[in-house]
Amino acid sequence: MAKLKVTNLKKSFGSLEVLKDLNLEVKEGEVLCLIGPSGSGKSTFLRCMNQLEAVTAGHVIIDGQDLTSTETNINQVRQNIGMVFQHFNLFPHLTVAKNITLSPIEIKGENKEQANQNALRLLEIVGLKEKADVFPSSLSGGQKQRVAIARALAMQPNIMLFDEPTSALDPEMVGDVLAVMKKLAKDGMTMIVVTHEMGFAREVADRVIFMDGGYIVEEGSPEQIFDHPTQQRTKDFLDKVL
Amino acid sequence: MKKQALTKLSFIFALLSLAFILNACSQKKETTGTSDDRKYIIATDTTFAPFEFEDTNGEFVGIDMDLLNAIAEDQGFTFEIKPLGFNAAVQALESNQVDGVIAGMSITDERKEKFDFSDAYFDSGVVMAVSEKEKNISSYADLKGKNVAIKTGTEGATFANSIKDKYGFTTTTFDDSSNMYEEVKSGNAVATFEDYPVIAYGINQGNGLKLATEKEAGGQYGFAVNQGENEALIKMFNEGLQHLKDSGQYQEIVDKYLATPESKASETGFIGLIKENYKKLLDGLGKTLLITLVSILLAAIIGILFGLLSVAPNRGLKVIATLYVDLMRGLPLIVLAFFIYFGIPSLTGIRLSATIAGITTLSLNAGAYIAEIVRGGINAVDNGQLEAARSLGLPYGKAMQKVILPQAIRMMIPSFINQFVITLKDTSILSVIGLVELTQTGKIIIARNLQSFDMWLIIGLIYIIVITILTKISKQLERRIQNG
Ligand SMILES: Nc1ncnc2c1ncn2[C@@H]1O[C@H](COP(=O)(O)OP(=O)(O)O)[C@@H](O)[C@H]1O
Ligand SMILES: [Mg+2]
Repeated sequence: MAKLKVTNLKKSFGSLEVLKDLNLEVKEGEVLCLIGPSGSGKSTFLRCMNQLEAVTAGHVIIDGQDLTSTETNINQVRQNIGMVFQHFNLFPHLTVAKNITLSPIEIKGENKEQANQNALRLLEIVGLKEKADVFPSSLSGGQKQRVAIARALAMQPNIMLFDEPTSALDPEMVGDVLAVMKKLAKDGMTMIVVTHEMGFAREVADRVIFMDGGYIVEEGSPEQIFDHPTQQRTKDFLDKVL
Repeated sequence: MKKQALTKLSFIFALLSLAFILNACSQKKETTGTSDDRKYIIATDTTFAPFEFEDTNGEFVGIDMDLLNAIAEDQGFTFEIKPLGFNAAVQALESNQVDGVIAGMSITDERKEKFDFSDAYFDSGVVMAVSEKEKNISSYADLKGKNVAIKTGTEGATFANSIKDKYGFTTTTFDDSSNMYEEVKSGNAVATFEDYPVIAYGINQGNGLKLATEKEAGGQYGFAVNQGENEALIKMFNEGLQHLKDSGQYQEIVDKYLATPESKASETGFIGLIKENYKKLLDGLGKTLLITLVSILLAAIIGILFGLLSVAPNRGLKVIATLYVDLMRGLPLIVLAFFIYFGIPSLTGIRLSATIAGITTLSLNAGAYIAEIVRGGINAVDNGQLEAARSLGLPYGKAMQKVILPQAIRMMIPSFINQFVITLKDTSILSVIGLVELTQTGKIIIARNLQSFDMWLIIGLIYIIVITILTKISKQLERRIQNG
């Protein structure tokens, strides 16, 4: 059974149809990279997958549960779907450790000590153990994004959604973040990554999806997409970015 | 208002019955004993400065009172004063419940049919007054093309209106003497017409004006008893009055209230005014602070509630919040105060005290503004914050409570302090429903001493000082909160 399945998904903002009949299946442990020009609907697609955007039509099914159904407890489901944003969205009024422990304590009912220990473990993984007690404002962009990843992981999700996690970073910071993501991928996390890092996509992705104008134009292995694209729009896009 | 009138009425009723009993007793005495040891009951008005009014110590003073005391001493009789209000005093006399009335009462033919009057003890009449500094206006002819301030319902107003076409001036009408005097002092009006004793008393109290003309022939004031009753009392009054006039004591008494300043000792100057009134001012300030604090607390509750509704995902809730805010922002505070204080009781029959009505008014009004502050604060928090929180599985309420509000509140604090100051100042508007807060206290003091410039300066300074102190404290608190 597919880990995540999207069928006939449509999304409009008012009269503007942004996503036009998308279908997708993602297997457990698969790493998917979404590429495409700006405005093509990648972020919206990703945000539909955890219902930050309500869909206009179609279904999003995770582990057999339809997220678009009104019967689904969306708060419950979201605990299993980590999300990392382009602009980190760390909570500025909380320390790094508290950013990470907030959710486990508030909704999983973990006790403080247990949650704290877990936070430190995650910070160690992303290489920021010494930053546990500082406020986000004193971190660099790359450090912020790694904390954001640790925060998402603290809920022990089995799918991770990344929306251009490195586009807001200075070039020298990008590597650290990508390294963490690679490690996650290697450990078997199911990941959907919207990215402009074609090198990362080629190296880590099991499958690459090219989106344009609200449609999935072409999908396939990194080699297929990057080296032998069949669609003209894919070729044009790749010519511009590579 | 109704309630006040009712308690006043029952008070008067109690006094009347008391007067009646006393009268009955004394009449019995008259038949048995001598008339020398009898105590006369004299009714008067409640406040008619400078003839009878309460001084700062709460004692009943004035030209009538001083004259009566002096005459009684001269003639060796005793009396008791009943300040019933003018109309009630006249009625009490008609029904023989009191022996006499002294209340700046004009001797008229109509009254002479019912009452016996003493010799006139005071000549009234309308005079024209101008600003102390005025040099060019000394006759009615000088008023051509100018504006004159008058007070509604006074002899002065009637007189001014009767000659304004002839002399070619315009009039502006006021409800309140001190405002009228200010108008003249500020130069918006060049002169005012008023009964001689009233304006002379104002000048005596330092209102900054001076008399510009001789008084027009006007009413004469007399002491009245019921016709055919108390002839002896009238006789004593006339004799005593003559003695006082001969000895110069009469002039002394009149000058005490009506002479142009210089000689006047009390209540002038900034420090003197503060010394004399600080207790009342502190009471007023206390009321202002109490009402502000209670109102702002209630407003905070209302404001947070409606503020949260206004950012709720549910459209219906949003509409409710918007309606409330628009309604309250659209209503001038003074209209809301009148509506709550006068409108609600007539609608529901539930009487509200001025304090409760005042607090309700301010809470509702400030609540709307705080709702806007809360909404603004929440909207100022980056949308990504709520998304990040929700993506972690936090339900809306928890995300609000743990992530959005803590950030929003920090941003709201300066506006909140601002609203606190505005609400404190807005309490002054509640003086219109008779709430004796700081501003109303000022009005009351000025009604007595007519020192409007200095008094408003003092009141203004109190507001500024208190608000500055409270703002400093709030800023300190804000800093502490911002730093975690
Ligand atoms: N909340 C929104 N309201 C209205 N239009 C939106 C909203 N979010 C995105 N869009 C529009 O949807 C289209 C796709 O946006 P997005 O999914 O962000 O594209 P991408 O991430 O591929 O750059 C764009 O035209 C954008 O303007
Ligand atoms: Mg995007």
